[in-house]
Amino acid sequence: MVSEKKKQQSPILKILSLITYKKTNRPRTFVLPEQNEGQEGREKSHNYQASESRGNEETQTGGKKRTKMLRKPLSPSQVKSGRTDVNEVKKDIDSNLEVIKQQFNVPQNKDLVLREFIIAQDKRGFIAYLDGMVDKTIINEHILRPLFDLSASDLAGDNNSNTLALENIVETNDVKKLKNFKKVFAEILKGNTVLYVDGLDYFLACESIGFEMRSIETPKTEGVVKGSQEGFSENLRTNISLIRRIIRNKDLISEFFEIGEKSSTTCAVVYLQDLINPSILKEVRRRISSIKTDFLVSSGMLEQFIEDSPYSIIPTTLSTERPDRTASHLVEGKAAILMDGAPFAIVVPVTLNEIMHSPEDAALKWQYATSLRFIRFFAFAFAALLPGLYLALTTFHREMIPTDLLIAIAEAKENVPFPTLVEVILMELGFELIREAGIRIPGIIGNTLGIIGALILGEAAVSANIVSPVLIVIVAATGLSNFAIPNYSLAFGVRLLRFYFIIAGCFLGFYGLALALVVFVLMLVNLKSFGIPYLSIVAPRNKKSKDAVVRWPIWMQEERPDYLNTLDSRRQPEISRQWTQEDAPEPSGAGRNKDQGPAQQAPAGRNQNTGKEKESSD
Amino acid sequence: MREGHFGFLEALSLMVIVLINKIFFTSPMLLIEKLGTSAWLGTLISCLASLSFFGLLYLLMKRFNGQDLFQIFETVTGKLVGRGLIFLISLYFLYYTAINAQEFAAILKAYSLPYTPIYLIVLPLLVIAAAMAYVGLEGIARVAYVFVFPIFGGLILILVLAFPVYDWDYLRPLFGYGLDTTIVVGLLRSSAYSEIILLAIIINSIHGLKYFRRVGISALLICGLVFSLCCACILAAFQYPSSSEHLSGMFHLSRVIYYSRFFQRIEAIFLFTWVFASVITIAIGFYISLKAYCRAFLIKNHRSLLLSFLLLTSAVCFLPRNFPEILQIHVRIIREFSFLLIYLIPVLVLFVAVILKRGGTSDDKSL
Repeated sequence: MVSEKKKQQSPILKILSLITYKKTNRPRTFVLPEQNEGQEGREKSHNYQASESRGNEETQTGGKKRTKMLRKPLSPSQVKSGRTDVNEVKKDIDSNLEVIKQQFNVPQNKDLVLREFIIAQDKRGFIAYLDGMVDKTIINEHILRPLFDLSASDLAGDNNSNTLALENIVETNDVKKLKNFKKVFAEILKGNTVLYVDGLDYFLACESIGFEMRSIETPKTEGVVKGSQEGFSENLRTNISLIRRIIRNKDLISEFFEIGEKSSTTCAVVYLQDLINPSILKEVRRRISSIKTDFLVSSGMLEQFIEDSPYSIIPTTLSTERPDRTASHLVEGKAAILMDGAPFAIVVPVTLNEIMHSPEDAALKWQYATSLRFIRFFAFAFAALLPGLYLALTTFHREMIPTDLLIAIAEAKENVPFPTLVEVILMELGFELIREAGIRIPGIIGNTLGIIGALILGEAAVSANIVSPVLIVIVAATGLSNFAIPNYSLAFGVRLLRFYFIIAGCFLGFYGLALALVVFVLMLVNLKSFGIPYLSIVAPRNKKSKDAVVRWPIWMQEERPDYLNTLDSRRQPEISRQWTQEDAPEPSGAGRNKDQGPAQQAPAGRNQNTGKEKESSD
Repeated sequence: MREGHFGFLEALSLMVIVLINKIFFTSPMLLIEKLGTSAWLGTLISCLASLSFFGLLYLLMKRFNGQDLFQIFETVTGKLVGRGLIFLISLYFLYYTAINAQEFAAILKAYSLPYTPIYLIVLPLLVIAAAMAYVGLEGIARVAYVFVFPIFGGLILILVLAFPVYDWDYLRPLFGYGLDTTIVVGLLRSSAYSEIILLAIIINSIHGLKYFRRVGISALLICGLVFSLCCACILAAFQYPSSSEHLSGMFHLSRVIYYSRFFQRIEAIFLFTWVFASVITIAIGFYISLKAYCRAFLIKNHRSLLLSFLLLTSAVCFLPRNFPEILQIHVRIIREFSFLLIYLIPVLVLFVAVILKRGGTSDDKSL
């Protein structure tokens, strides 16, 4: 029909149609409704607005002309308020079922499973859980089966007897009676199953958490040669149990907090009650419980919410993925904050010294650990200062460079058209680029590409006379030093600090670097971590620590850090190696029984007797 | 004045750095110019004279235990005169800060940054001093404690590494232009240690009289000995005619260090040492000037005046037209005549207090 009509059109009309205006039928576009529109929208369903009507901002209400004002979008709490607001569990199954359906948006939400049933011939009931979050074997075997096995006589009597019977019928290890809907929802969201039987005024929450999780693996960023190879996983309970396995102490407390209006993330504050300073604990609780946000998914986010100085480039909390390191800090009298879904613990309070420690230090002999710490501190200084020093040296203080080396540098730089600052910035940015790309590229290719990229890029840059070879050495040494810093956040801070020192060295030479250092130290001395000065031990000077930079032998570390003011400051008695005060057992002599191990040979006299006896028996 | 607390070592570091800072600049030159080979002895006499003044200051502080110097001024001389004296102290420290900054910048320009405009050297220094003043006394003291090790480390390293160039015969005659001249100049130059008055101003931050005495005596003795040793080393290295022409004797000393082709001309490294010392000295001067001003005019928050004081100090800083003017007039005023203001005012206040029988217990009044 259309083709016939087209055929019938005269050529003149066709030409005219090309130049005449035609009203187009554009599809409606989405416009985010304003607050008042949103409310109306829910009633009238007019979220989609014709594009023609855009710009028509004036509406008539009650005969008066009203200008539409721009308003804020609805807050989550306001959206919620549109729903039925119920707190208390009712005794009527239909009402309770309706509340759960409404709150979990059933049937749109396909994750919530509502299984209705009739038990003991006439009692209606239901269970609710989130699919994928539960262990279905527990539900089938330990919740539903016992319920279906019930006879009418088991539930005979009044409501109170029903109550008792229901708790005893379900065979899960943990059950809770919940009379408040908020708690019911929280339990469902955690992965537990709630059970309701008609006539009761409460729900029974049965533990049935059973989602897939990563097993315990080797720590990714805090690997050690000598020491534990276990790292935290994403499961909060597993992480706490990993700590409990190390500190088997009844005073190890874990307090739980829920953070995040949308995510309801569980956080745990773990501490040793007989050690931690109550003021620190109170402050930790205060900061965590006062967080108001909708979503919290990583410990890094939590760190940002609780740290003392958000503008500081240096971290004031210690993030670790090692249970043994966390435990060692807890035994010092600190608190650890763990989060469900995050394989890291945040340790507070900390000082710069402690952040520079490696988890391996405690496992090594004190001489090795001390020398490694010195290397780390040098690495810190190198990573931050080396490019700045090079820039200052080659720009302002050339007299310091030995003549031969100066000639070599000058020759190498002869063909490079850029000033040294541009060279340094280019190389540093290139290095950062390779590092970032290496992280993003998956698997082993990432590491390979990082190394090859660095080699090729460096070689090519030198060949193309973009940078001088000396600078490659400087940037490589800086990069290596940065990797020697044992804390990821601190290493990141140092990466940024490097640019600050580059600028300072470039404009004012050593003078600029010295000024920049003063500012940096000024910032450090004013930092605090949960009320503890960040440079404690140095500024302010506390009681001499035997585990700050120099790690003294472990048997000499008798006291906990002074700045923590722990409830028990003594770690071990003055003489911890008590065997040094005792007489060694006498040598066992010729009659020693070769089959016995050293532990069995302790009392010398008895050992000799045994030997003699054996000889005589032989 | 009380802003935070710090301990003995922090206070000692702060005072030692402030007192010793001048060794890096023109002070040894001026002293050697006046006393010749007995400069090392002259500075010891200045130190002893300062110790006696400090004794009088201690008596004053003891008489008004629990009060800082500014409170004592108000208590003894009344609010109007007291505040006038505080204002005078504020002006002096403003001048002290500006001239120190200018002296530092001039030396740095002469030796290390010849092509850098002087305002580019002075302004960052003053801005950082202002930042430190913003943080407050406790922060400055802690920074001083952190940097006292590199400062002293650098100083000792210079003195030790330059050992091969010393000829101790250059110290003869021991009494230079005569013992009488040495004593007179030594006494007059006791102003070189006048910064010790800072302790009386910050007394409430250092746990009162107990630390005041310990810190004061220790700082004066350490600085006197170090100053004397440095003068002796400069003389032993360059002989007195050359030493009296070197703007910075310590800088020259670091320049003559030579061990091999790869270990020579390392003077730039020691820039860190004098920059740290100068920044801390200028910061504390700036802070005290600002706090004294706030005290004189009853301004509670010193931070609101930081920018104004920064501008004011910069303006004073650029008053001298050239380096000789800084040396001949301004540095001389601070290092030779400031005792008239710094030492005499507290001594006069002490006498007034004794005459008017103000402050202290009955035992103290027997002074």
